[in-house]
Amino acid sequence: MPQTELSRESRAAAPPRTSAFFGFIAFAALIAAQVFSILTSPAEADMGHLQKIMYVHVPAAWMAFISFFVVLVFSVRYLWKKRENDDLLAASAAEVGATFTGLTLMLGMIWGRPAWGVWWVWDARLTSTLVLFLIFVGYLALRAFVDDAEQRARWSAAVGAIGAINVPIVYMSVKWWRTLHQPQSSPSTLDPAYTMGLRLNAIALLLVTIYFIRKRYEIARLERAVEHLAEAAAMGGK
Amino acid sequence: MDELNLRFIIAAYSVSWLVILGYLMRLKRKGSQARADYDQISKETAGDGPR
Repeated sequence: MPQTELSRESRAAAPPRTSAFFGFIAFAALIAAQVFSILTSPAEADMGHLQKIMYVHVPAAWMAFISFFVVLVFSVRYLWKKRENDDLLAASAAEVGATFTGLTLMLGMIWGRPAWGVWWVWDARLTSTLVLFLIFVGYLALRAFVDDAEQRARWSAAVGAIGAINVPIVYMSVKWWRTLHQPQSSPSTLDPAYTMGLRLNAIALLLVTIYFIRKRYEIARLERAVEHLAEAAAMGGK
Repeated sequence: MDELNLRFIIAAYSVSWLVILGYLMRLKRKGSQARADYDQISKETAGDGPR
């Protein structure tokens, strides 16, 4: 049944709580993965121990990409089916994705200073990532400033779907243009000494990302339920 | 050089945990607020409210 046809009572029902135990497991896994990779990875030939920043920088970028893929899927689904929960899930993923994109940029700068001698250069990878970050900051600002729920959902779905198209541009930027940034780091391009650490950190941060999106979605549904109840009260119904 | 690298490594991991824990705290705060708002408006609109 389409969301728009649901009864007022079911739209105003509180969503189930996100499991705190899952959150605990996710954070414990992240700590364990970081300790393992810091202690076991050898110094890299060119960068020395600076390479250890890869274990936080690369997974953060991947989680941003995954979050924006969720935004794309649920934005398109909202535009197709007009289900309110699709809009809320897309918005939740967008907030988490923007957070991880901001973190990726900061970690890139911390890596860039000792590795390249500069905090920032306007190369294709860095610039396209900054553009991605700004698009989703704009997406969140748009949601904050539009009061009408249906208009907010429609506009943000359009911005989210178009914004997510920038993800493959960011990913391919190091192949399409000459950049200071090195090619993609992945288990297939890395020395085997570093692959286990990267895989473990990526899996652990994926668990944290899933927890964040689920928790944010739960909050978004609660906020919408409050809006529905307030509308019902304003109309004099229950 | 190694000491300088160590500073950047510590900075990177510190920033990571600051952002991750900061976002977690934000979710906890927003979640508590949303739950409290929901409970209050449920009582106001329906007595026991839809759960």
